[in-house]
Amino acid sequence: MMHLLKKELSELLNKQMLLGLLVSFILILMLGFVMTSTVSGTLENSGEVHIIDLDQTDFTGQIAEKLSEQGYTVKKISDSQPYEMILSQQNWNDAAVLPEGMTDLLWNQHQSCEIDSITALKTTSAMSIAFSENSSADYVKSAVNSLLSEAYLQGDLAFLEHAVSTTPYTVANGKSVQANSAALVGSLAMFDQLMPLVLFLLIVLTSQTIITAVAAEKTDKTLETLLSSPVPRSVIIGAKMLAALITALIYAVVYGAGFLVSMLANVDNTAENVDIAEAFTNLINTQDAIRTLGLQISPLGWIGVILQLLLTICISLTASMILGGLVEDAKGSQTASIPILVATMFPYILSMVSDIRSMGAVKYILYLIPFTHTFTATGCLRFHDTGLFLGGLIYQAVFLAGIAFAALKLYQSDILFTHRFAAKRTGK
Amino acid sequence: MNYALDVQHIQKSYGQKQAVKDVSFRIQEGEIFGLMGMNGAGKTTILRMLATLLRPDAGDALVSGNSIVKNPEKVRTCISYLPDEAGAYKTMTGRNYLKFIAGLYFKEDREQKECTALGEEICGLGDALNQKISTYSRGMTRKLVLARTVMTKPKLAILDEPTSGLDVLNSLDIRKTIRNCAETYGTAFLLSSHHMQEVSATAHRGAIMKDGEFLAEGTPQELLQKYQAATLEEAFEKAVRNA
Repeated sequence: MMHLLKKELSELLNKQMLLGLLVSFILILMLGFVMTSTVSGTLENSGEVHIIDLDQTDFTGQIAEKLSEQGYTVKKISDSQPYEMILSQQNWNDAAVLPEGMTDLLWNQHQSCEIDSITALKTTSAMSIAFSENSSADYVKSAVNSLLSEAYLQGDLAFLEHAVSTTPYTVANGKSVQANSAALVGSLAMFDQLMPLVLFLLIVLTSQTIITAVAAEKTDKTLETLLSSPVPRSVIIGAKMLAALITALIYAVVYGAGFLVSMLANVDNTAENVDIAEAFTNLINTQDAIRTLGLQISPLGWIGVILQLLLTICISLTASMILGGLVEDAKGSQTASIPILVATMFPYILSMVSDIRSMGAVKYILYLIPFTHTFTATGCLRFHDTGLFLGGLIYQAVFLAGIAFAALKLYQSDILFTHRFAAKRTGK
Repeated sequence: MNYALDVQHIQKSYGQKQAVKDVSFRIQEGEIFGLMGMNGAGKTTILRMLATLLRPDAGDALVSGNSIVKNPEKVRTCISYLPDEAGAYKTMTGRNYLKFIAGLYFKEDREQKECTALGEEICGLGDALNQKISTYSRGMTRKLVLARTVMTKPKLAILDEPTSGLDVLNSLDIRKTIRNCAETYGTAFLLSSHHMQEVSATAHRGAIMKDGEFLAEGTPQELLQKYQAATLEEAFEKAVRNA
């Protein structure tokens, strides 16, 4: 095994690979900066505004009317239950709370008023948050300012500018905490966004590497030399996969380091000059909120995530061994990697823009793709969906065993050399 | 009589097409046997079955008494296979490639070193063995892979078109190496070719193939007599056209 492994590693870890790795590292650093900046952008308006009206005056009624006039769909209730219960019952992602006495403060006492802005955290996908969140409090603020401007056109403009301010609340796992959901997501994204991206790159890269390597061995007829040697076929496959796994882990470390450095440097998006120490401080400040909401992952959970990562890469490598064995030549290796690319890209993109776990029947189709479980792993653990996480882990282990058995059978069979002959040629 | 290879009614089909039809032949230790035939005659299929890469649909073959059907793992310890236009790992030097192949066949360090030294001697590439294989010409690569095929001193060496694409001098060197190894180490050779000259200059016996069947088998002299031909090429032409 070691003998073959050394040969496989010498084939994979060459100067070109190291140069490519260096270039990739630099590109990832740049990409990481751009991505983190984008993620921290303004939340998008999706047209629905949720209001918890605890004041219930004509003025709070006018706020709703104003928003309706502006084209928003306003959903308003007057309920003093805990925020997490209201959001759960109403199935809202966010809400703006108009506190009791608000109208009196603004109109009679001419004082600024603070409203609570609540956000339900259901996923740590920053893009998902950006696409789906209704920033109700922002719209309410805008409507209040507009109404007050009309009434106090000649009045104190400075007062109007600060007429309403918001206090952010985040609800998750049946608990609420005074914290900005975007800041929490930003903090969690350091791991939850980094891991899928690194994994996606690893799967695509290693599968392409293996398919090309096997195809090249077929073209050069070196595979025939190996398979007719006294070395067991399982050892030949194992050595090739282990070498690819070692290469993948080297890539994982380099890619991970690249993203981590760029993301840490961007935690404080307002900072002109990047200060990693300051970024760490900001990161630590959000940890209390994460702990209160139960969003942290235990050490055992992280071991499970790492195990799932390894299983995923092994599935990808084994599938690549099969596809590489069926490829006629090196030219066909590009096409052969498409099934793996699609099977990876589909759940990856969906996990970036949406919460797969909350999808309808489609999610069950997605769960059949073994890579999906890796992209939903941290989400499952953070939102206490342990059953789905463990189910995914077991499914991946069973899938790997099945596909490894298929690979071994393929390399022990005629198919490796005859499948192309069956269609076109008649023997030589 | 000790047979290095005893092929018994071997058959192989690809879908509806029967590539090899009930072929039987034997090769003695130290004997060189040539398979002659046009492209698609079934030569490579026979070689691949004997190299345990393909499984016969029917029949069997014994390599030093070991069945390719029942005991392919044991057969692989007795054979060495050189595919048509086989390459080598381009990122390795010639010497490291020979070391790598020796490591596949021998566990002991001493055996590996002896095997590698023999390979270096057989290929005759000298200092070029320290260069990467990517810098080798086709002739140099062919000498290297032939050396790795015979340096393990297999009971049976299976060579598919061993001089394909080589110039005259390189072809002559390869043929000399094959004959020397057969005489010196008692290795039996089964080689395929569509160059009659190669078979008549190298092989002790041979067979003419067409459509998966043997049309004739014997020494070059016996084949010439059978077809009343002056050269093996003429004998081949008559055999194939009259079949």
